[in-house]
Amino acid sequence: MSGDIVITGMGVITPIGGDVETFWSANLEGRSGVVLEERMDTAGLPCGWTAGLIPEDVKAKVAADYGAPDRSWGDSLMLAAVDQALGDARLDELPAEDGPAALVYARVWPGPTGSFPQDYVTHMEDLAERYDRIGNEPSAVLKHLRGRHLPPETRDLSAYPTEITERLGTAVIPVRLEATCSGGLRAIAEAARLLRSGRAQYAVVSAAVSRNTPYVLSQYGQLMALSRWKGEPALASMPFDKRRTGMVINESAGALVLETAEHAARRGMAQAYAVIGGWGLAVDTRHMTAPSVEMIERVMRTALEQADAHPDDVDTVNAHGTSTRLNDVTEARALHRLFGERMADLDVSAVKSLTGHGSAASGVVETAVAALTMCRGIIPPVATCTEPDPACAVRTSLTPVRRPVGTVLKNSFGFGGQYASMLFRRPATPRPAPQPV
Amino acid sequence: MPSERGGRQDRPDIVVTGIGVISPAGIGAARLWEAMAAGKTFFDTGGNDGPAPALPWPSAAVDTTEITWPAGRDWANAGKYANQSARWAVAVARQALEQAGITGDTEDVRGGTVMAVGSSSDELSDVIPQLASRFRNDPRPLAKFLHDEVPDYSYIRGIPSQLGQFVSMASGFRGSNVAAYGEAAAGGTGALALAVRLLESGELDRMLVVGVGAPLTITAMAAFDQDEPLGTRATAGAGPFDADRSGTLVGQGAAAVLLERADTARGTARARLAGCEVLVAADVAASARLVVDSVLADADTTPTMWWAHGAGSPLLDRVETLAVLPRVGSLPVTGSKGTIGNAFECSALIDTALVVESLGRGELPPVGLLRRPDPGLGGLDPVMGETRPLSPAPMALVTAFNQGHHSTAAGAIVIASTHGAATGDGKVRT
Repeated sequence: MSGDIVITGMGVITPIGGDVETFWSANLEGRSGVVLEERMDTAGLPCGWTAGLIPEDVKAKVAADYGAPDRSWGDSLMLAAVDQALGDARLDELPAEDGPAALVYARVWPGPTGSFPQDYVTHMEDLAERYDRIGNEPSAVLKHLRGRHLPPETRDLSAYPTEITERLGTAVIPVRLEATCSGGLRAIAEAARLLRSGRAQYAVVSAAVSRNTPYVLSQYGQLMALSRWKGEPALASMPFDKRRTGMVINESAGALVLETAEHAARRGMAQAYAVIGGWGLAVDTRHMTAPSVEMIERVMRTALEQADAHPDDVDTVNAHGTSTRLNDVTEARALHRLFGERMADLDVSAVKSLTGHGSAASGVVETAVAALTMCRGIIPPVATCTEPDPACAVRTSLTPVRRPVGTVLKNSFGFGGQYASMLFRRPATPRPAPQPV
Repeated sequence: MPSERGGRQDRPDIVVTGIGVISPAGIGAARLWEAMAAGKTFFDTGGNDGPAPALPWPSAAVDTTEITWPAGRDWANAGKYANQSARWAVAVARQALEQAGITGDTEDVRGGTVMAVGSSSDELSDVIPQLASRFRNDPRPLAKFLHDEVPDYSYIRGIPSQLGQFVSMASGFRGSNVAAYGEAAAGGTGALALAVRLLESGELDRMLVVGVGAPLTITAMAAFDQDEPLGTRATAGAGPFDADRSGTLVGQGAAAVLLERADTARGTARARLAGCEVLVAADVAASARLVVDSVLADADTTPTMWWAHGAGSPLLDRVETLAVLPRVGSLPVTGSKGTIGNAFECSALIDTALVVESLGRGELPPVGLLRRPDPGLGGLDPVMGETRPLSPAPMALVTAFNQGHHSTAAGAIVIASTHGAATGDGKVRT
């Protein structure tokens, strides 16, 4: 039996679908989830506020099924995605003695409380009323707070790992991590390492982000990172297009079940979505926000070396592709360094073109696309890249590319000099598409 | 439960080659250890034995005047992205690096960093209410108002892993940087465990684990107090395991632990980290039982001393004691929180550093503010009043938990003494 680590379950809550099949269909159809956030007044800002928003019906269902007074919206989203993944992996049939499981997750807090624009306005009104009445005098503030409901965000602690324990019926080795926007891919790497170590036989990986607030808008506006696109909102995130003006923030969540291949086989899960090949991680200290060609090349080469693969073995690239001027051209230059003349024929996809950027959640959500790319033999289009940037010279398609895909190289980078890359392989017996009912 | 995990001999030894501590006792693990040995405590009670004047909870604060930011153009440029926690992190990291003889002047892609620090947006806790008040009479839209008025780069300064980028600058470690924290961390144990896995896998050779327990906001303290009342006394009898303990006392601090694979260590082994894990079960007592069993089996050893979490919480001290004692028998036990309080995210890292210091000195310091051990805690053998000599070939068990009722995580660490550096086969002889 190989020592492979395989993905056997997936779940997503995204702007373009509240389940994996809807999400995948939207990717193939080029259906965008990026809209103009009309509740946000952006007058006077150096950017707009197009955002990848979870559809209201999906959001309402998550709120109804998972909402609780002592549970953050981010945890509700993660639990919804996890339950999809657990069901998909049929983990409810697992004997308890197969534990402990691993749980690796990234939760992006929305900033100083509040997940929705209207919540944040209420929050600010409450703070103003308090400040006008008592200022910041500690004992008066404490008196004000006593007896009020103080949500988990105020402690930066939640019951999420315990809730996963209850679902799995076994203890978990928990890792809550943060590595800015590379955090999702990093979480997959941490889970795979845990499984390779023998400490656990299966793992749940999850990430969620919801930070659609005036505070986050104002801060990203300060960083000059957000899209300034004035045209059709659905086109605002256009990785590798010469008209790109910046990134589009989204709210989303993703979850994966990882297992040792032996564990999956033992419980009859012969089909998998993907095999974890190898990964590369690095930190750069030269700049806080700007990416580096050398570092991207380094992590991609490390991922290939760890997977015992050559650049020629890579069938397609699932890019970080944020739609900022600097990221896309920097990533493209690194790809050219790695693949050389192959770039002319190497298909590159960029999920953020339709979903926007989900920070740490993007690495998990986009890995689901990488896995389905191999299982279904279809490379999704980059539907918003209608005027490819010659400075990037990346081969993208406006329509799905149908051909066998044995490997996908996936990139994720983040502020703070964070770099991650991972090679996925097609399993020997890939998970087939569900039969139409 | 089935396990494919290899035996102790199949895995590389992981050694501690540097430690750093910033605590209310000052800079360095030695100062804190000696303060504990002398029976000192550092809680601000407003100059008397009662509660501090502004808030009902005595707390142990760090004196920031001794903490310096490195000199040079790069550090000056980086400074705008650094909050107080970042400054503590860099200072404490440099202590650990210096002990291992690592200057950070050269890039080391075989080294990495793990941060144990929460979402430290505390710098805005007083600012946002003021801005909210001003906004009431401001014509600008809220987003534009915040864009103009919130201090520049505060969002980046509040990102936990941002602190790790500064630690990477200080260390030269470029192989990896991640923050591991919150409800899954058990006071920094999760960060240590993540580092150990990176080392054991062979992915990296050395890991600098840095934790920061920054001053809590009033809102955070009020929230923890809602979970279980925090301590309101910092007098004799208010300490961990005391029959009269009345709640966790809050502290501040920072700690760094430099871990290296013994076979490629650049520094001299000061101790061997023989086991480290965090587990979450349905409740904290079950988590504690499981994790202690797990690390002792993993380390394939029996401890001779116990450095307890010892929160001073009536509930958690009982849970901890009842979970650990049946597994290890009556051992000399001590803890730091009666001296410096609970520094939350980095408390287990401070305790790890103090264990290494204790192994070097051959003595355990006493528990602060402990007057009358709680008879309800079974056969507890706390170190009281004065230091106690360690047994030959000491092996320490460290336990750690989160505060409050939202997390059921429990962490445990096993630390062995060493004699000298690694041998040719990468194994450290004890």
